[in-house]
Amino acid sequence: MDDYPEFEPHILAFLCNWCTYTGADLAGTSRMQYPPNIRIVRLMCSGAVDPVYVLKPLLEGVDGVLIGGCHPGDCHYQTGNYKARRRFVALQEILKATGFDERRIWLRWISASEGQRFAETVTKMVAELKELGPSPLRQEWMA
Amino acid sequence: MNTLIPVENGNTLQAVRGFLRSLMEKGIVEALFVPLEAGNGAIVPGLVTDPSRLSLANPLAPVMPINSARAVSALTGKATPATIGALLRPCELRALVELVKLQQANLENVILIGMDCPGTYESVDYKEGWHAGNGDLNEYLLSAKEGRNPAIRDLSLRAACQMCTQPVPEKVSIHLHLFGSDTTQGIPVTLEESIAARLNLGEVPGAGNDDPKAVENLLAAHQQARDRELAAIRATLNSDGGMSSLFATCIHCLNCKTACPICYCKTCLFETEAFRHAPDYYLRSAQQKGAIRMPADTLLFHLTRMNHMSLSCVGCGMCTSACPAHIPVGTLFQAVASQVQQVFNYQPGRDVEEALPLISYQPDEWVEIGEER
Repeated sequence: MDDYPEFEPHILAFLCNWCTYTGADLAGTSRMQYPPNIRIVRLMCSGAVDPVYVLKPLLEGVDGVLIGGCHPGDCHYQTGNYKARRRFVALQEILKATGFDERRIWLRWISASEGQRFAETVTKMVAELKELGPSPLRQEWMA
Repeated sequence: MNTLIPVENGNTLQAVRGFLRSLMEKGIVEALFVPLEAGNGAIVPGLVTDPSRLSLANPLAPVMPINSARAVSALTGKATPATIGALLRPCELRALVELVKLQQANLENVILIGMDCPGTYESVDYKEGWHAGNGDLNEYLLSAKEGRNPAIRDLSLRAACQMCTQPVPEKVSIHLHLFGSDTTQGIPVTLEESIAARLNLGEVPGAGNDDPKAVENLLAAHQQARDRELAAIRATLNSDGGMSSLFATCIHCLNCKTACPICYCKTCLFETEAFRHAPDYYLRSAQQKGAIRMPADTLLFHLTRMNHMSLSCVGCGMCTSACPAHIPVGTLFQAVASQVQQVFNYQPGRDVEEALPLISYQPDEWVEIGEER
């Protein structure tokens, strides 16, 4: 019935080297199935994610940004993920206050052994972004 | 301790100068940072080491060319080379506290002198119609006494000053009171015992005890103006493309960042190679959206700056004063910053011992974030 191909969201992910990236790797080597809508950038720590890394793709029209880090208490650098969490809270508030949809940014704690959780997170994020529809910033030339 | 600086012949400015001079002559400070008259209504903050230069001092001029916290940062750095007194407005004091936390200034060997602030005008506008003996000062002091905005010529206070709800300095060694007092008769001062003793100043009962109604009325009016302005800008922000429309006329000059007392980075990310893209990058970006605005990354700059400094934004409004496109940058940043500050229960400039929210944490906060919703 539908003349148009289904909307496929584009997701950019910043994953910490020690936990979530390794978890994603585990999902891959275990041949777990998850949607191919995600592009991954590996960082040493979720605490290394400056808000500008998230804002740049959002303004360019990416549909979602995922930040993945170690569970609280498990940071390879002791406290990086706690600081990432505060920065994330501030970023969410700023997006809300400036009229952008903060539901497009996700932060998830996924350990190196949680390949399944990584696959599920991506599956769920793709589904929710499909509900939200394409980012309005895809067409916004002033952004 | 509260005392009263005597004023002769109703000349309040002369009395302030005399008081500042006594601070230097009694060796309480070796150098004094204070606004100076540069002629024809121009006011320039300066560091004074020769007390005779204090004949130029004019902290009562209703202008604020820069947020002087930046200057105090330059004068103190990691180690203050002498005992320096700094006479600052409340928003400058708050910004200074934030700069100390950001390790860009220190308060050792610094004596902070605060003054009630009835508000400031754009220094260019103020200078324009200025002429000697025009009675501006009398109106300024009277408005402070009565707890209302000053009405000098046909000028309007800077937007940030009209909605300022913290015009009274806190945590200073010396506090000059203007609100609720007839300062043409005497200037009430609250100061540390040790300083008072060295100045041979005795307690004057009742002095420095401002007429509370004056401050109350002023604060109520300013709160009303603030609520109105912030509501208006939030309505725009919440409309479709509101943020882009507010910054549509931005020319990406970065003046707001330069004038901001909190933006201290020696090299801003937005002035580096990272944002000097290759020509084909712009073409590809344009092809994706059909068009892109130039200079590129303008909205990104403002949003990133909000993330980097809004928790420490003291609302001094120097960004608005510096904007050649007349964008209400300061009001906009306050509208956003006040929300973020509330979430972290953080009030910039409140206490130098309070940790900056983004470099501290509690393990057991926001525990739902990062877990499945």
